[in-house]
Amino acid sequence: MKKKITIDPVTRVEGHGRVTIHLDEYGKVEDSFFHIVEFRGFERFIQGHPYWEAPVLVQRLCGICPVSHHLAAAKAIDQLVGIDPEDLTPAAFKLRKLMHYGQIFQSHALHFFYLASPDLLFGMDAPVEKRNVFAVAVENKELARKGILMRKFGQEIIQAIAGKKIHGVAAVPGGMHKTFDPKEREYFLNGKDIPNIKTMIEWSQEIIGFIKGYHEKNRVLLDTFAAFPSGHLGMVDDVGNLELYHGKLRAIDSIGNITLPDVSTNDYQKYFLEGVERWSYMKFPYLKEIGREKGWNRVGPLARMNICNAIPTPLAEKERQAFVAFTGKKVNNSTLYSHWARLIEILHCAEVMNELLHDDDILSNDLVREGKPRLEGIGIIEAPRGTLTHHYQVDEKGMITRCNLIVSTTHNNEAMNQAVKWVANNVISQKGAITDGMLNQVEVAIRAYDPCLSCATQALGQMPLKLELYNHSGELIDERYKSN
Amino acid sequence: MNDINQTKKTLIIGIGNYGRADDALGWKFIDEFSYRDDLYDFEYRYQLQIEDAELVSKYEKVIFADASHQPMEEGFSFYNCVPAPTSAFTTHQLNPETVLWLAQELFYVYPRGFIMAIEGTHWELHQGLSDLAEENFKKAIAFFKDYSKKLTAPPRSAKAIL
Repeated sequence: MKKKITIDPVTRVEGHGRVTIHLDEYGKVEDSFFHIVEFRGFERFIQGHPYWEAPVLVQRLCGICPVSHHLAAAKAIDQLVGIDPEDLTPAAFKLRKLMHYGQIFQSHALHFFYLASPDLLFGMDAPVEKRNVFAVAVENKELARKGILMRKFGQEIIQAIAGKKIHGVAAVPGGMHKTFDPKEREYFLNGKDIPNIKTMIEWSQEIIGFIKGYHEKNRVLLDTFAAFPSGHLGMVDDVGNLELYHGKLRAIDSIGNITLPDVSTNDYQKYFLEGVERWSYMKFPYLKEIGREKGWNRVGPLARMNICNAIPTPLAEKERQAFVAFTGKKVNNSTLYSHWARLIEILHCAEVMNELLHDDDILSNDLVREGKPRLEGIGIIEAPRGTLTHHYQVDEKGMITRCNLIVSTTHNNEAMNQAVKWVANNVISQKGAITDGMLNQVEVAIRAYDPCLSCATQALGQMPLKLELYNHSGELIDERYKSN
Repeated sequence: MNDINQTKKTLIIGIGNYGRADDALGWKFIDEFSYRDDLYDFEYRYQLQIEDAELVSKYEKVIFADASHQPMEEGFSFYNCVPAPTSAFTTHQLNPETVLWLAQELFYVYPRGFIMAIEGTHWELHQGLSDLAEENFKKAIAFFKDYSKKLTAPPRSAKAIL
């Protein structure tokens, strides 16, 4: 009897997604899908608004990475007032960068400590009551406490610049509206009120030590689980090093051949198209030249480790070298290495924040530049989850006539579907009874990409979990439900 | 970015949303008492999160003010918040009991917790309270003003009301 398994929604991710796995009469997987089933449509309803509202409006896409949307929109809006990234004042550029790295730091901390660590600490087959951060709090207090304080540090950097931890306002067309106060800087440096930036660097190194040990102990699983060939996309600086705020787009294929050779972010439309499927609201971006079937790319920490020549901060670069050496310097296509890559980025962000906090430019009041208005602006940054594109067109009165958003999670759409297929074929197919641990492995595979489904489709995000088994006639024959 | 040396002994966290009709009750509650910043620190929240455990760990007493769907005889209820772990499906939306429990587990502090729950009936996209919520809000405010006065009096008075 044919069956269909549905996991609805996937838990410990941001937003609402659903997985269906179709089994034939022998319990063998026929097909599987990761559906994104809700839609909010910011691209449409931002039309008609004045351009200067965009950085404020679009950050409401998300409560986890509003800074990423704010800054990607700000970069695009800068262009509408005739300012390219290199034209910003040093203060504006560095304040944006500080906020951006604070954002990535807190978002990565949230993902690793709150969402992913239960799977690593207790195992994918652990009882469901242990697969949450509360169990981590009971059994690994030090880890949980550091996770909270690291996230807090990043959030407070954001608050110091934008006025609020979530949905604050910092960027204005052509610059920033507020500089950093010497007292604020002291707060992050002196360690009197909160653990300081040096402690953040030390803790980042400690947690990398933990993940390296985890990889040593679980190498076979981590090398093989949801491993599949794919392209990798990200941003690099002028010499090919990792860059998260502004640089050029680079993509490689699964064995390292360049498929997108350090092109200007302004030219993204020349290289990318977006496919659609009737079973998902989330689009499928791909490189035009390679085509829909093979031109898709992973984005995010793992992709960034794969595409960059080096990381421009010493401690993180040392860790990157250890990371690539661990797998023989080959392109890493193993999904679960994303966690290690994410933690290297946490260290990199801490190092960059340390540099910026010691830079007197962040105290300057020279914050805004003006230029000659244009009718089109493109802003691309590396958000925590990967390459994020905001593109606006305006009329002569400055009202937005077109908005195109390619959100990081959208790039990972095909990769997450491939990851689900891998688990379906290797863990669930022809195994008889379907256990809770098996289902969690589907989620573990998706969770490694830290998807933000709300960003990608602007869904509202209720997350009970539902599993349904269907026979080949489409009749429901079994059902499991986890509610909130 | 509160300095621990500057914090008051009591924190009031208002949970809610001005844009969702009666869900504004928690925020309006702290608006009403904002003039008592000599006694209280205030925080507005859409929802409680894990890091709020670190925040409440700095206080002796925490009051969570929130709207409630539950019908209440007096239109509001002020009661002890007993720390307890709860298995919520999302870590973005904790209840006050869990926040206090996490503060105990992770920071080894035991702030006393209270919940001010005020009954509301409307939750749609709308600014402004329903008539019933407005009425309940006034009762809760009257009660809490009295409670605040007793807080500044000798401890026996405050104890009596709880």
